[in-house]
Amino acid sequence: MAKRKMNVIGWSWIVALMMLFNLTKFFVKASLEVNESQQQHPTNVYHEIGQTRNTIVTAQFECYQKIVKDSTHSRQEPMCNRTWDGWLCWDDAKAGVISEQHCPDYFQDFDPSEIATKICTDSGQWFLHPESNRTWTNYTRCNEHTKEGRVTAMNLFYLALIGHGLSLTSLFISLTIFFHFKSLSCQRITLHKNLFFSFVLNSVVTIVWLTAVANNQELLQRNPTSCKVSQFIHLYLFGCNYFWMLCEGIYLHTLIVVAVFAEKQHMMWYYLLGWGFPLLPASIHAIARSYYYNDNCWISSKTSLLYIIHGPICAALLVNLFFLLNIVRVLITKLKVTHQAESSLYMKAVRATLILVPLLGIQYILLPYKPSGRVYSEIYDYIVNILMHYQGLLVATIFCFFNGEVQAVLRRHWNQYQIQFGNSVGNHSDALRSASYTASSITEVQGCYSIDSQTEHMNGKSNYDADASILKSDGPFA
Amino acid sequence: MKLIFQSFLYCCLLATVAHCVELEVNPELKKRLSMWLGSRLRRDLDSVSLEKTAESEHLIRPEDIRDTLLPHFSTGIIVRTKRSKNSANQSTGQGCSLGTCAVHDLAHRLYQINNKKFGSAPVDKISPHGYGRRRRSLPVQRLTLRLKQGRLRPVWSATDSQVHKLRALLRKT
Repeated sequence: MAKRKMNVIGWSWIVALMMLFNLTKFFVKASLEVNESQQQHPTNVYHEIGQTRNTIVTAQFECYQKIVKDSTHSRQEPMCNRTWDGWLCWDDAKAGVISEQHCPDYFQDFDPSEIATKICTDSGQWFLHPESNRTWTNYTRCNEHTKEGRVTAMNLFYLALIGHGLSLTSLFISLTIFFHFKSLSCQRITLHKNLFFSFVLNSVVTIVWLTAVANNQELLQRNPTSCKVSQFIHLYLFGCNYFWMLCEGIYLHTLIVVAVFAEKQHMMWYYLLGWGFPLLPASIHAIARSYYYNDNCWISSKTSLLYIIHGPICAALLVNLFFLLNIVRVLITKLKVTHQAESSLYMKAVRATLILVPLLGIQYILLPYKPSGRVYSEIYDYIVNILMHYQGLLVATIFCFFNGEVQAVLRRHWNQYQIQFGNSVGNHSDALRSASYTASSITEVQGCYSIDSQTEHMNGKSNYDADASILKSDGPFA
Repeated sequence: MKLIFQSFLYCCLLATVAHCVELEVNPELKKRLSMWLGSRLRRDLDSVSLEKTAESEHLIRPEDIRDTLLPHFSTGIIVRTKRSKNSANQSTGQGCSLGTCAVHDLAHRLYQINNKKFGSAPVDKISPHGYGRRRRSLPVQRLTLRLKQGRLRPVWSATDSQVHKLRALLRKT
């Protein structure tokens, strides 16, 4: 029977995957079209793009002002004079020194994090290129890795789409399970439902944002208010997601560490924190952005105003890290009392931590900042994007599909279903159904209060069995 | 055990706060400054006489600036700007570099990939025959400062009579 269940689940996964791949195929086609039309554009940029030209001319004007500013230096040693090379302004350089500057952002394929170099020769002259016998600045590194960067970005885009697609399917299935089987409902599951729901909303709005806005030049050029509103919603739901992780952390921490007498917690505060509070940073960001950095559709990530959103999120995740450490500490102390073997004890602690990491979003704290090197930042991008876009899938899998209670409920209903359709003789199945009803009502009670009994054990008399059961997959976390 | 744990947490908190402050304040001020400068393009030009007896600051008329652009300006007034950095460099190192910002970063990269507004860099300018040379040709338009309503305003105008003066300057640099 279990095998057949697995088969059904497997089939549904395959169907979902196929649907997803069709979806991504469509996107691939769409983006290829975009690329082609882009390549048809002539390379002579100066005549049609006034903005780039104006930027360059302004930079030139500033450079000459700077050159004129204090050129009356008395120098003993040979130096290369400050100069404007056509794109960048170069300061005085000592002989034999290689001047370095970040590449300008005049062109789409220039990476401002790369370096342009100009060599000052030992004789105090700027380097002359042997081929042309002209002074020459090395700009070749500026667009050397542009193609790879583009490939990376597209890969990340598809990764994100597939991840959010998988997350959405798994989250929908879990939410259906949580809502359909009333026997599962209790505070912990209510929190899970809200977290899953925020994951769903976040995934939907991220997919919309990435496909319909970030990939839509026409919309970005028109810059309608609706796309700014959608960015506001995106940031709000993004915040909601992380604040529901914080809610989960607070709930678990209160349950395991703080509350000696396990009583029902007030859900109102969780709703306020999870759905209400993120409005605040999102609104502040919207107001600040409209005053100080009002770019098209607010799509730029090159502004520090984003810290208005990510500061509170970071704080929430730090608090979650504290909760996680505290929970693990309590767990280890309680388990030590039961005199278990050291190795199994730590294995359990590690396991509990690993289970809790995706739920509480600790992975972002473990990978806090983007490194500066090109290769490192690329690896970092891949890791963080995978963690971010597949988190919904991971959480749904661990906290719904691998949850013992959920599995038990599903198994029971599956058995019931089979018996009902297997032998259609009335009397027999009626008796069985009533039996399963009583069973379900028992588990209902158990499902909701099993944690409380475990916490009692943890805080009071340390019961070996109860403590051991904490770290089974269906412990208080799952 | 508890002490170590707490101190570790404090360290984490401190590091984050320090990083955020450093990132938040500096680029923010710079950004605002550059945006303000960019929108107005107003230069605060200080005139400093060579004799350091009387250091007085006042705005220069456009004619004065043109004078200073002459090759033999050493007897005249030295133009000093308050902006020191190249504006192209100011856009680097900014923005959110936290792990959670990855999604905005991705959106921004997609936007840049598909952006047709900025073309790609001309290959001939990067090649050995390209940049690095001094720019000897003048742009069709050039920026001049005009006094409007008591303020110096930048005006894009066609280069005409000042061409030879600027050219002289370009040769000099």
